[in-house]
Amino acid sequence: MSLIATVLDFLPEILLLAGALLVFLIDAVGIRRIEVVGSIAVGAILFAMLFVFADLGFAPVAFLATIPPSQIDIVPAVGSTPLYWFTSLGLFFQVFFLIAAFLVSLASMSRPSRERGAAVFYGMILLATLGMMLVAVASDLIFLLIAIEVVSIPSYLLVAYTRRDARSMEAAMKFFIVGALSTVLSFFGASFLYGAYGTTNLFVLASGSAVSNGAFGGGGFPLLVVIGYCLLIAGLAFKITLVPFHAWAVDVYDGAPDDVSAFLAGGTKKIGLFAFFLVFLGPVLLVRGTVEFQWFGGIGAVALGPVLQVVLSILAVVTMTVGNVLALMQKSMKRMLAYSSISQAGYMFIGIAIGTAPALTGASLQVFAHVFMKTGAFLVVAAAAGLGVGPLIADWRGMGQRHPWLSVAFALMLLSLAGVPLTIGFLSKFVLFSAAIEAQGYFVWLAVAGLLNSALSVFYYGRVLKVMYFDAPERGSVIPSSTEADVPLPGAPNGRAAVSPIGLGAGGIGYARATTIALIAIVIVALGVYPGPLLQPLAAAAQHFVNLAF
Amino acid sequence: MTTLSIDGFIGLSIALLAISIFGILTRRNFILLLISVEIGMNAAILNFLFFAAFPNRSPFFDGLQGQSIAIVLVGLAATEVAVGLAIVLALNRLKGTINVAEASSLRE
Amino acid sequence: MSLEELAFLVLALVAVATALLALFVRELVHTILWIGVFFVDLSAIYFLIDAPFLGVLQLGVYAGAVTILLLFGIMVTRKRIFSREAITGIGALPAALAVATFVFLALVVGEFPGGEQAITSYNVTDLSQALFSQFGVYLLLLGLVMLGALAGAIYLVREGRE
Repeated sequence: MSLIATVLDFLPEILLLAGALLVFLIDAVGIRRIEVVGSIAVGAILFAMLFVFADLGFAPVAFLATIPPSQIDIVPAVGSTPLYWFTSLGLFFQVFFLIAAFLVSLASMSRPSRERGAAVFYGMILLATLGMMLVAVASDLIFLLIAIEVVSIPSYLLVAYTRRDARSMEAAMKFFIVGALSTVLSFFGASFLYGAYGTTNLFVLASGSAVSNGAFGGGGFPLLVVIGYCLLIAGLAFKITLVPFHAWAVDVYDGAPDDVSAFLAGGTKKIGLFAFFLVFLGPVLLVRGTVEFQWFGGIGAVALGPVLQVVLSILAVVTMTVGNVLALMQKSMKRMLAYSSISQAGYMFIGIAIGTAPALTGASLQVFAHVFMKTGAFLVVAAAAGLGVGPLIADWRGMGQRHPWLSVAFALMLLSLAGVPLTIGFLSKFVLFSAAIEAQGYFVWLAVAGLLNSALSVFYYGRVLKVMYFDAPERGSVIPSSTEADVPLPGAPNGRAAVSPIGLGAGGIGYARATTIALIAIVIVALGVYPGPLLQPLAAAAQHFVNLAF
Repeated sequence: MTTLSIDGFIGLSIALLAISIFGILTRRNFILLLISVEIGMNAAILNFLFFAAFPNRSPFFDGLQGQSIAIVLVGLAATEVAVGLAIVLALNRLKGTINVAEASSLRE
Repeated sequence: MSLEELAFLVLALVAVATALLALFVRELVHTILWIGVFFVDLSAIYFLIDAPFLGVLQLGVYAGAVTILLLFGIMVTRKRIFSREAITGIGALPAALAVATFVFLALVVGEFPGGEQAITSYNVTDLSQALFSQFGVYLLLLGLVMLGALAGAIYLVREGRE
């Protein structure tokens, strides 16, 4: 393949890289206004999104396609071990990641224009988005893991970028430690898989050949493979906040600046899900037979696929239940949203445990919905913090009267998170749970667990709605926001200084942020009512993905 | 020709991983945490080199891939140390400590 | 038992011992010294299994750069270099978890043929060609990681004038 063809294949990624470099360069020559820097970032993201849409073949822009259609959704020839490949589901995920980056970049342009660190903030967002897009095209385990590192390292630095806020810095420290542990576990697991298969290509791994075909002595490596997968599950589970590995997420989302929390919960978390798609769907789908192996002289038997399915199902149910129960007990708004984000990861995980095309469609839709709902919810919290609303749920009393438009948008997002009909959250859960019922067997119980959990989640979302609309605001309960957040008050939100103190735009929120929130609210309802344009191509893409034997 | 036993190699890398996990779970000084992470990364690098040195009979086996991955991992682990130290220095400037347990206000 | 095997066993024991000492010694500067020995020791193992390029890289990057970087981190963050850490308890649960990990992972040893095997060595020229052609994508990705780390780390430690 010629160099030009390769460059054209990666045109959206190269655009993002160019945007990041441009942002750093103009910072070096002294242009630091957030409007300029943010416009460059938003422009780069929009152009990248245009080209990804073209590659997906959407009608008005299809002539811009840079990846030849003959390269999309093609199984590589037997014996070749490519490092990357293009699937339509992967391209859809690239769109989702770009949407999350776009929303956060646009909303962040409302921060004060003289604020330091705008270049680093946008540069890191662009680099992390670039890494997420590379995750979506990986077909090699090491490519995938290094691409995840391309996301992780900018996201540690994003959490710390304010530099003056001790809470953010602590959150960055925790994030770094957990991320480093996850990296160690993933690479160690990958090394075991490399030892068993002799390569890290995901197609070869998906074939499961090393479980039965002996390599060194003739006995095969079932244990090496199983333990390698265990370590990989542990390493990747940190990224997607599955339950035994979730504790960091709450502290990090709570401590990070609000815009960054929106990006972490709405964007970077999803790479873990796609990594699970790539790594585990093959074994789950393919290795159905039982394989005998020698274990300390005795004969054991393992069926890798069904065992993995059971493990992943248990993880999914535990994740959604623990996330929901803990969310019920939170008093702080950001921590409640963080736990709700953990439980949403559990819903998405149902799709991987089942592994059929409709289930994948449901999980992808859930990701899409979550990008809007969670990014939007954190952005509303950021906006409210700028308006002087405290960090606790109780501080939101009477928001319905004080800031009616913001409250309506937030209520829509919460209803969608709870899965109320006519919102996109309902649609994704409906597709996911009906896929679980369709799959028969014990998967039906996954649907039951999901429904019970949705009912449970209505309690805490409903509590916020009640506080916002039916509890009268106490006189004097509105604490004036301390814009000089250099010395953080105990429990103060660190997004306090994030908004221009002059009452710009929609009541001090800022035009860009208000536009973003309105956009999110419109999309949540519009696609909830009329999902056809999204649902059909996505279902086709998921079907292709499953047919590729991944 | 050099001959070595496989068991010793895999035992060494597993022992290093266990030490690394133990260190990450118990040490509270950030520098020691970084060192624990480095020990774990070195265990993974050792594994890749080891599986490249003892060829597998799989038709897809590529020993040069293992060595290439090891080289890249050395760079990756060094990058992580650099980022970790940047966070340490910034935290030290703010709080005057690099102890993870002391610098902890993110609680309920 | 061949001579190489004996050498490997000694080097492996030194590696485990220095890794443990680095985590348990009470003075942080001694930790750095032990971890330096650990890195040099691993580099010797790489030479032993005929991966000389990796051995040199290990010496340069780890024994050289990373050790100095960690030492620098200690120098900047504390007033007296030779000050003792409050000893952190061993903790029954983490220790048990580490031992359990070790035992669980050590199960794989049973799958390998016992006894000594001949090792394969690779030509450095072939390695460099593979690294820059077939697996050049890995290096590009590493470059992206380093770009992010560089820009962010410089910004984070720079004294802000605001």
